[in-house]
Amino acid sequence: MTTTQSLLTDSVHVNGVDIAYVDKGEGDPVVLLHGFPDSHYLWRNQIDPLVEAGYRVVVPDQRGFGESSKPQDIEAYDMRTLVNDIVGLTQQLGIGRAHLVGHDWGAAIAWMYAFLMPRRVDHLAVFSVGHPGVFATPSIEQRKASWYMLFYQFPGVSEELLRRNGWRLFKEIIGADGDHRRYLRELAKPGALTAALNWYRANRSPEAELRTERNFPPVLAPTLGVWSTGDQALLEEGMTGSQKFVKGPWRYERVEDAGHWIPLDRPELTTDLLRGFLGSQSSAAAPSRRRRL
Amino acid sequence: MTVRTCDVAIVGGGIAGTAAAAYLTANGLSVVLLERQEVFSDLVRGEWLAPWGVAEAQRLGVDDAIAVGGGWEIREWTQWDEVVAPGDAVTVDMTSFVPGAGGPRGIPHHLVCDAIAEQAEESGAEIVMGARDCEVDAGEEPIVRYRKDDEAVEVRARIVLGATGTNCRVGRQVGLPMNTSVDHWGAGLRVEGLTDWPMDVQAMGTEGERNFMVFPQGDGMARLYLNYPTSHRHQYRGDGAAERFLADFELEALPGHGRSVYAAARPIGPLKEWPAITYRPQHGIVTDGVVLIGDEAGTSDTVLGVGLSCALRDVRIVSDVLLSEREWTPEAFLPYREERAFRMERLVFGASVIAKLQCEFGPEATARRRRVRALMDENPAAQVLGLLNMVPPEEVPEFGFSEFFVERLFRETV
Ligand SMILES: Cc1cc2nc3c(=O)[nH]c(=O)nc-3n(C[C@H](O)[C@H](O)[C@H](O)COP(=O)(O)OP(=O)(O)OC[C@H]3O[C@@H](n4cnc5c(N)ncnc54)[C@H](O)[C@@H]3O)c2cc1C
Repeated sequence: MTTTQSLLTDSVHVNGVDIAYVDKGEGDPVVLLHGFPDSHYLWRNQIDPLVEAGYRVVVPDQRGFGESSKPQDIEAYDMRTLVNDIVGLTQQLGIGRAHLVGHDWGAAIAWMYAFLMPRRVDHLAVFSVGHPGVFATPSIEQRKASWYMLFYQFPGVSEELLRRNGWRLFKEIIGADGDHRRYLRELAKPGALTAALNWYRANRSPEAELRTERNFPPVLAPTLGVWSTGDQALLEEGMTGSQKFVKGPWRYERVEDAGHWIPLDRPELTTDLLRGFLGSQSSAAAPSRRRRL
Repeated sequence: MTVRTCDVAIVGGGIAGTAAAAYLTANGLSVVLLERQEVFSDLVRGEWLAPWGVAEAQRLGVDDAIAVGGGWEIREWTQWDEVVAPGDAVTVDMTSFVPGAGGPRGIPHHLVCDAIAEQAEESGAEIVMGARDCEVDAGEEPIVRYRKDDEAVEVRARIVLGATGTNCRVGRQVGLPMNTSVDHWGAGLRVEGLTDWPMDVQAMGTEGERNFMVFPQGDGMARLYLNYPTSHRHQYRGDGAAERFLADFELEALPGHGRSVYAAARPIGPLKEWPAITYRPQHGIVTDGVVLIGDEAGTSDTVLGVGLSCALRDVRIVSDVLLSEREWTPEAFLPYREERAFRMERLVFGASVIAKLQCEFGPEATARRRRVRALMDENPAAQVLGLLNMVPPEEVPEFGFSEFFVERLFRETV
C-alpha cells in the first residue's frame, strides 16, 4: 500500500489543540507554513536541503489539517487563533526569532505574524498570497479567480456538494494540481473537510481578513514575495502591491512554469530561492517609540 | 511457524476482498487479508463501475476511498456505433438511474483497491501483501496457510472468504469448482493524454470486427477496451501491440474518426488480452467455513460491465450475515446463495444477449444490430436489458428475461 505520506517527528499541545510538526536539523530556525488543503508534506522537497544548508527546520500541520486537531466550529479558525498556534509552537520549541516561510493561507499567517511580532521574525518569505492590506476591495478579476472561496462559505452545503458523485466538484476545482490525490485522501477522513473549509469560513479569504484594519504595522523583516504565472486563483498584483507594506528590504520573484503550488511545481527553484534569501539581509530598524507626555 | 487468529480471513485483495476487509473491520470484526501481489498493480480488470455498484459502495462506506483512488463520475454515454452516423448518435444521461449515486465511475482499478485496503488497514484490518502459496482447509474451524518472505504462517479464522477472482484458487481447494465457457476475446489498456475527448462522455459500440469502449477517468485519462472474435485472439501480443491496439481506435463511428483517442493516447499501464469467460459454479459457493465472493463465486460476460458491482453486492450480503448471525454455518448463508443465484441468472442471460448484439461480427451481425436498433428507436421498451448496467438486476422488468422477448428482439424482420 501507499507508504504513509508523513515526515512528522512530534506533536505538542498548544493553544488548546494538538499540533503535529517536523523538527529537523540544527542552526537558525526556519518555520515553513502550508496552506489549503495541504499539510507539512507540501514542503517535503525543501526540508532536507534546508537542513543540509544549516537550518533548524520546523514544519507544522496547521490546525484543521494533517495530523493536527480538527475543531469543527468555525470560530476556532480565526486568524489570530491560527497565528497564536505558531507562536505557541515556536515558544514550546524554545525558538525566539525565526525565518518565516508561508504558502497560500500559510503566507497570510506569516504576514500577520511578521507585522504583529516583528521581533520574532528574522526573514519573511511569502508564496502566492500577498499582504492583506493590498486590496481595500478585491478587483473583479480577483473575485472571479477565487469564486470557490465564496462557495466554501456555506456550512454543510458545500461539504455535500463537494463530496457528491465521487467528489466530482472538488476534483473539478483542484484539477490535477498540487498533490490533488493526497488532498482528497486527507479531506475524505472524518471531520477533515469541514475543518479545512472553516479556514475560509472564519476568514473569507487569505487577504480579506484584515481589510477592515487599515493601519497595518509595517513589516520590518527583509521580505521575499514569490508569485507564479500559472496561479489560477491569485493575481500578481496581490504580491507586487505588497511592497508598500514592507519597510525592510523587499524582493519580488515571478516564477514561470508553476501553478499555484510553487514548492511542488518548482521544488529546486523554491529551495534555491530560500537558501539565497534567508539570512541574507538585515531588518529595517523598528520605529523608535517616543514616550508621549 | 507463526499462528494467528481472527474472525475472518480473506484470500485475495481485489475489489471484493478489500471492500470486505474495510466493511467488516468498520463493524468490529477482526480481519486478516491475504493478497498475492507485493503492491497493487494494473492487472487489466474492470474499470467501469455501474451506478448500482456505486450505491453498493456507498452502503459499504467505501465510496470515498473509490474517489480517493481516482474514481471519476462519467455522466453521459453517446451511443456511437457503425449503424449510426457519428452526428446522429443518441446520448444517454446516466446520472439519474440510481438516486444518490450519480453516474457510473471510471476507476483506476489497482489504485482504488489500494485506497480501500488502506482504509481497511486504518480501521484495523491486517493486510498482508505478497502472501504466497495460500492453502485453505475448509471445515468448522477453517485454516489458511501461506508464506510471506520465508516465513510460513497459519491463520485460524472463524470463516474464510475466497476472493481470488477468476483464479478460483480457494474454490478449487475446497471443492467448489466452476464450469466455464468463452464467448469472445478482449484487450484493455489504460491511457492518458486524451485532452480533446470529453471527460464526461463514454463510448461503447461496435464497428467491423471490434467492439470498442472508452471510459474516461478524468484529467485526460481513460480505460480503453476492445472486444473481438476468438479467431483474432493474440492480435495484441508481441512487438508493437499497444500501437496496433490504439490504431484500432481509428473508427468511422466516432467523431473525427476517433482521432482524439488514437492519435492522442499514451499508455500508462500494460496492455493485456483475455478470453471473456463466463464462470458458473458447479455445486455451490458455500461450504463449511468457506464462502466465495466476487468473481470467484461466478461471473457473467465482462461485456456487461457489472463484475465490480456484483463483487460489492456480494460483500454486503455476506457481511450482513456475518454481522447478524452468531453461527456461521453454511445454512446461515442461504439468503446469499439464493440472492446470488437469482442475480446471476439475470446477468448471465442479459450479458449473453448484449454479447450477441455487440460482440458478434460480420455482415450478418451488423444487419442484426441495425434491425435491433431500429426496433429500440421505435419502442424503447426493447432496450430493457440495457438497464442491467445501470440499475440492480432485480429492478429490471421481468419481461426482458424471457426467451419470447429475445426471440422478438432478434427476429429477422422488424
Ligand atoms: C478485462 C476485463 C474488463 C472488465 N471490465 C469490467 C467493467 O468494466 N466493469 C465491471 O464491473 N467489471 C468488469 N470486469 C470484471 C471485474 O474486473 C471483476 O468482476 C472484478 O475485478 C472482480 O473482483 P474480485 O475482487 O472478485 O476479483 P479480482 O479483481 O480478480 O481480484 C482478485 C485478487 O486476488 C488476488 N489473488 C489471486 N490469486 C490469489 C492467491 N492464490 N492468493 C492470494 N491472492 C490472490 C489477485 O492478485 C487479485 O488482487 C472486467 C474484467 C476483465 C478481466
